[in-house]
Amino acid sequence: MVALPRPAVRQERIPAGVTTRDAIHGELVLDADVVIVGSGAGGATLAAELAECGLDVVIVEEGRYYTTRDFTADASAAVRALYRDGGASMAIGDPPVLFQEGRAVGGSTVINGGMSWRTPERILDRWWREAAIDGVRAKDLEPYFARVEKRIHVAYQDPESIGEDNHLLKRGADAMGWKVIPNLRNQVHCPGSNNCAFGCPTGAKQSALVSYIPRALHFGARLLSDVKVDRITMHGKRATGIVGRVVGADGRPGHRVSVRAKLVVAACGAIQTPALLARSGVRSPSGRLGHNLSLHPNVKLTAVFDQPVRGWEGVHQAFQVREFEGEGLLFAAVNIPPGILAMTSHPRGAALHALMQDYDKTVVAGMLCEDTSTGRVRTIAGRPQAFYQLAEFDAHKLIRGVALLAELLFAAGARRIATPFAGVPELTSADDTRALYAHTIPRRAMEVVTVHMMGTAAMGSDRARAVTDGHGLVHDADRLMVCDASLFPTPIGVNPMETIMALATRAAAHILDNHHQFA
Amino acid sequence: MTYAHSPLTAALLHSLVPVVLPPEANDLADDVVAHVALTMGALPTNFRRALITGLYGYDTLAVAWAPGGRRRAHQLPADLAEAYYVSWEHGPTPAHQQLAKGVGQLIKLACYEHPAMQAALGYTPAAWIDKVTRRRLEVYGADIARQERSLIEPDPLRPPIKAPRAREVV
Ligand SMILES: Cc1cc2nc3c(=O)[nH]c(=O)nc-3n(C[C@H](O)[C@H](O)[C@H](O)COP(=O)(O)OP(=O)(O)OC[C@H]3O[C@@H](n4cnc5c(N)ncnc54)[C@H](O)[C@@H]3O)c2cc1C
Ligand code: SF4
Repeated sequence: MVALPRPAVRQERIPAGVTTRDAIHGELVLDADVVIVGSGAGGATLAAELAECGLDVVIVEEGRYYTTRDFTADASAAVRALYRDGGASMAIGDPPVLFQEGRAVGGSTVINGGMSWRTPERILDRWWREAAIDGVRAKDLEPYFARVEKRIHVAYQDPESIGEDNHLLKRGADAMGWKVIPNLRNQVHCPGSNNCAFGCPTGAKQSALVSYIPRALHFGARLLSDVKVDRITMHGKRATGIVGRVVGADGRPGHRVSVRAKLVVAACGAIQTPALLARSGVRSPSGRLGHNLSLHPNVKLTAVFDQPVRGWEGVHQAFQVREFEGEGLLFAAVNIPPGILAMTSHPRGAALHALMQDYDKTVVAGMLCEDTSTGRVRTIAGRPQAFYQLAEFDAHKLIRGVALLAELLFAAGARRIATPFAGVPELTSADDTRALYAHTIPRRAMEVVTVHMMGTAAMGSDRARAVTDGHGLVHDADRLMVCDASLFPTPIGVNPMETIMALATRAAAHILDNHHQFA
Repeated sequence: MTYAHSPLTAALLHSLVPVVLPPEANDLADDVVAHVALTMGALPTNFRRALITGLYGYDTLAVAWAPGGRRRAHQLPADLAEAYYVSWEHGPTPAHQQLAKGVGQLIKLACYEHPAMQAALGYTPAAWIDKVTRRRLEVYGADIARQERSLIEPDPLRPPIKAPRAREVV
């Protein structure tokens, strides 16, 4: 028997500096320089940078602390544990859009795919031009991106980790003569276990849980898990701390927790942050808090091949098809477990069986669409509810994207393809894909999902149009900052994690450069 | 959140198993219904309440559905249960359609998360994860250790304001 090197102890047990609900036996009151609500891409990055420079940081996270050992192939158990609302959050609209947020220490980075891309230059130019944000162009953000990439180890995949489904996608793109690139991911020798969305069981994915969080803890930050922040305490316009409650094992609220701090940061993600601010009585003079919700609507195709594919063997999204990036469309192969594939497919009964019995010969390919319409997060009885109406233009873009992606899959050898459109028969040839344009496909027939929610507390220098300034400090409030995907003035057309982390690093630099303001 | 089906919800879900799932899954109906309870337990409370109310409506409104012979949905024989479900799937309002879709999704998820169904598909992720985890540690142990060390190496973004309160976390 080969003696294996031990994985980091850090990934096997709860580290020092983390206080879970099991250790909170009464009301808890803490003081800190900075309290950060949320430990995901934005919150964890900011916490590590500030703690290393000597600030006393407390991170408050509603979700549990899981270790690498907790992550297994049991997809539905993982969804129940790691996803808010069991993964069934819904933006109301036509069509309704199913969206997913992580709820765990490390936030959505624990369940994300690890795609790590810088913000496209054209988007940063737009932010600089339209939202008048200084210091946000590609050359300005370069050092922050580089720093993030080092910390979370952004790299190309080792070739042996790439599975057949991704090779087929690439083969199809090559046959069409389309631009296809290897994906950059935050991983250290990811061996392609294909479990990213359910927690990385090897520790290879450098989610915030295994990168920025241990770093923040190492430099003295304290982390309270299982604590849901109810509101930010305000003294006039000045944020003074937070109050929340321990979340019990049964989900019920437990002991009260408060943290008094000189700077309060909301890093709860683009759905929860506007609700937290609204619950705390923060009113943006712009009237834009909760508005401007972008989603990168996503649809999937299920293509069956003659040969075995075994899509679960190998990393997902090893390649991205960038041929239609200019139109705001990206394609990738994303294997999903049978339960979730069945759940999100239209057929039932015998037709479902016909689709599923070829599961091992299936390539699931997905598409990200840069959207043009925006929705809204309303806070109803203290809870966020998203509303989003897919624009006619974007609906057409989705149909075009599905047709193009289907063409690619046929070029790769697919025999039949199920589309995300209810009522559209399976496609069996490239001709069928062109006929898609002739179908009248109502929006409600589209199975649209998303994992990229952005923009609900957008930054910009004009307080009449933006919720925060260019660093995330809330206009018309004092010592209150937003540091997450809510800040994006527009959708970015690529996976957002690295942008959030770079903006958080830039925000940390701003706080450190101006620390007397927050003393 | 712990949630248990009421007898009526359980009976209704049982009756929907042959409607939503292929015959291969009929023997798994008990497990499927139990798995749906787990999923429903993870849903937000208001969502779960709406779903339960919707299921109640689905069951009772069957009485007014002419072909049903004044029976409730969970009492319908298989062919009529299917026809009644279709009448909701293509129902008159988005609420009808969403309910049929939603409950169908819960049942489909439960079915194909079942180990027996996954085994029948040849889906063996645990074995794969185990294999590649070992291989990664064997082949790349040194690189992995290097990255782990780098996670706690000092590299301040700005000159520190105070000395950080370094703590041993590994
Ligand atoms: C399944 C999935 C796959 C994805 N794949 C990719 C990808 O491959 N590449 C990429 O770039 N992006 C990907 N994303 C998106 C990316 O992970 C997110 O955009 C990013 O993590 C958002 O960062 P954030 O800081 O805004 O919020 P999050 O990372 O979501 O963190 C917010 C945290 O705040 C906590 N919180 C919320 N409210 C409260 C409260 N009241 N009290 C205490 N804590 C609270 C939450 O529990 C959560 O842990 C994916 C997302 C998902 C869900
Ligand atoms: S594919 Fe790679 S990064 Fe994703 S879970 Fe598996 S080992 Fe981790």
